[in-house]
Amino acid sequence: MSWINRFIARTGKLASLLSPVLAALAIALPASADSSLTATYQGHAIRFTHVSSRAGAPAIGVNDPGFATLLNDAGALLTWKPGERFVLITTSVPLVVSFAIGDRRYDAGPISLRASFAPFLVGDEAYLPLREVLRALDLALREANGVAVLQPQLATLDMRQGDSRVTLFAHGGAMLHARVVQESSASITYAFDGVGTTLAGTRQVGTGGIASITIANAGTLREPSTLVTIQFESGTIAEAPQNTDGRDVLLVFDVPASANPQQAAAEEASPTPEPPPDTASASGAASAPASGPAIVTGVTVEPAADGVSVAIAITGSATYEWHRLREPDNRFWVDIENAQLQGPPIDQNASAPVLSVRVRQVDPTTVRVALSLSGPKSLAFTSSADGLGIAIGTQDVADELRSGSGGVGGANAAVAVAPLEQSEPGTGSSDDTSWKFGPRSGYVANNPRLIVIDPGHGGSDVGTMHGGVSEAQLTLDMAKRLRAILIDRGWEVKMTRESDVDVYAPNDSPHDELQARDDIANKAGARLFVSIHANAFINSGPYGTTTYISKPDDVAFAHFVESHLAADGTKDDGIIKSHLYVTLHARMPAVLIETAFLTNPGDYALLTSAVWRQKVAQEIADGIGQYAQAYPVPNQPAQ
Amino acid sequence: MRSPRLFFLVVLLAIVAAGTWYYLSHGAPGASETIPIYYTKLDGKTLGEMRVSMRPRQADESATERLHNVVLYAAVQAIAGPPNDVQAIRFPPGTRVLEANVNGSTASLDLSKNLEQQAGGTFGENGEFKALAYTITGIEGIDAVQILVEGNRLETLPGGNFELDQPLHRSDW
Repeated sequence: MSWINRFIARTGKLASLLSPVLAALAIALPASADSSLTATYQGHAIRFTHVSSRAGAPAIGVNDPGFATLLNDAGALLTWKPGERFVLITTSVPLVVSFAIGDRRYDAGPISLRASFAPFLVGDEAYLPLREVLRALDLALREANGVAVLQPQLATLDMRQGDSRVTLFAHGGAMLHARVVQESSASITYAFDGVGTTLAGTRQVGTGGIASITIANAGTLREPSTLVTIQFESGTIAEAPQNTDGRDVLLVFDVPASANPQQAAAEEASPTPEPPPDTASASGAASAPASGPAIVTGVTVEPAADGVSVAIAITGSATYEWHRLREPDNRFWVDIENAQLQGPPIDQNASAPVLSVRVRQVDPTTVRVALSLSGPKSLAFTSSADGLGIAIGTQDVADELRSGSGGVGGANAAVAVAPLEQSEPGTGSSDDTSWKFGPRSGYVANNPRLIVIDPGHGGSDVGTMHGGVSEAQLTLDMAKRLRAILIDRGWEVKMTRESDVDVYAPNDSPHDELQARDDIANKAGARLFVSIHANAFINSGPYGTTTYISKPDDVAFAHFVESHLAADGTKDDGIIKSHLYVTLHARMPAVLIETAFLTNPGDYALLTSAVWRQKVAQEIADGIGQYAQAYPVPNQPAQ
Repeated sequence: MRSPRLFFLVVLLAIVAAGTWYYLSHGAPGASETIPIYYTKLDGKTLGEMRVSMRPRQADESATERLHNVVLYAAVQAIAGPPNDVQAIRFPPGTRVLEANVNGSTASLDLSKNLEQQAGGTFGENGEFKALAYTITGIEGIDAVQILVEGNRLETLPGGNFELDQPLHRSDW
């Protein structure tokens, strides 16, 4: 044993030197056996049964029923499933707190923190550091005399200084209510009943008229209270607390000019502006005049460098529309409109990636070329004066487009010579014309006099409902008014519905319902498509008129309609490009007009006014007329 | 004499190793990455940006798993939106990310049915999906996002106008 004595003599501190080792071993060892914990939260007891510990700190299993109850009561959401490394908790703030198995670092919104131990797995269940989870929920576990309470906390008290006022933002783990308990010319004390705090102490401020802020715990374990005392300079006036019936309270102080030196205001940083979209120009083009039927003279399939090339020989001008089915059914077809098949139908087998080709005259004006592919291959279409080329790749691709359209022959040529529509006078900001758009489709209306009006919703789908007024009623009314004006101006009009009915079938799927509306316009070969709606939001704030579009063909039309709607009496929210079903699948220029917000009192008053609805109908009609003047086609009504 | 010296050396090394481990595991967190999360402002078209902390890739985290984790994290952040005092178009309450997958350059997000509880109108739908698509396609290697609801690919939401059948790209806006 002499070597030990010598060693002790040399160091004299064996125990202290070994302590980190022992501590490390204790931390690294597996968690202790599971136990349970019962704690009171918001007046009722929650029993946690998946409780463990590591490094002397409690851990909670994410499958614990009590934990699920706690998250639910606290308005938080858990995102995790077995096999996932990340365990995410979204609090009611909302704030996303991100834990990861095996990593003591955890993220809480913009900051990175370190937990008392790394989350770990017991079997398939993730265990999280309980204290850190509670802190994220603005709670603290308090225990006394064998009683455990999950006590909501006054979690933050942030100060923001404006030009003439200072605002303190208080946020807590339960509904906050500030009560003035003491007030003098130099200070004011608020009581926040129901919350404790870990922020106790005094903070010297000395700016903006505020001298200091003192936070102190009061109350009991079960009935906590936090006192916040503000010492301020002479002349500073404390406004009444702004209790929001939520977890936030605003304490506002009007500051005398002398106490407000010019300094950088600690106001909330404004969010970064929107990343600029690409600035590919949106082109507009006049539709090519309709002509006699095109002739499909043949279809050839030839190997190409990276797949197969299918050439559909067409003489004359035609439009086409293609669709593909969803995997595993890898068929697609091209319908060539206003076309006749020369010769008998074609049935031809081929080798991968094209397995077969079938060509048919499917109706008096449509030739269909149907191909069966060996997989979800890439497709690329090339129009020319001689017809349509389709390059089919050998590689399978995910999430390829499933439909499209275009023109060949004269219809295609019309795209090239059509006037570009970059920006029209009085049509809103220049940003509105700089979307990422591809080329126009070259759509040719079979009936250049026909406008299809789509009153949004109807039948089993009332749309949004507010104050006893349904969107479906309003849109039908505006559509009928628009129809009357257009007919009076020489247009033909088809409505997708003329009464309060579903267009496809009662209680149909949203897809069937919307496609049925597009089908009416597409099959009729309409010149333009106008879908009329009323907007809504979860609160009454937003208001205004918005014109939505989805494809290049819509841009010019939308600008004319929007420029007239800008004077409808509510805010003009301009044109927004979006991924909307009816405008995407209408082959002709189309707009979806959200006329106003039913959920905004001012807009509601407009929407429920027959005079205003007539005005909107008039403005849409004026936009249609102006568009027709700017982009005339043969046989359209004189404008 | 040799044996005690060897033991002393071993113990000393153990102490140094334990101390190093203790320091590294108790020290301040290292520098984190941040990723941008977008939200749509109440004008219905402008995007705001907030940056959130993103832990560095862990040693045993493959590149594939890392991309999956970033997509999942960003999606949960985008669905949550900014703090309540920031005015923004928000997903319906209770909407959660059930699953995130990455296939090539397309991320797939399976969202809970709460998504269907829209206020009505195009305003909310457009703003929600624009923010989500911009957030997810802001991740390196992702250029499209496919939305699923409870595992199903929908053409549109019930009563909605927004097409969800195809993956969403930034160019859709």
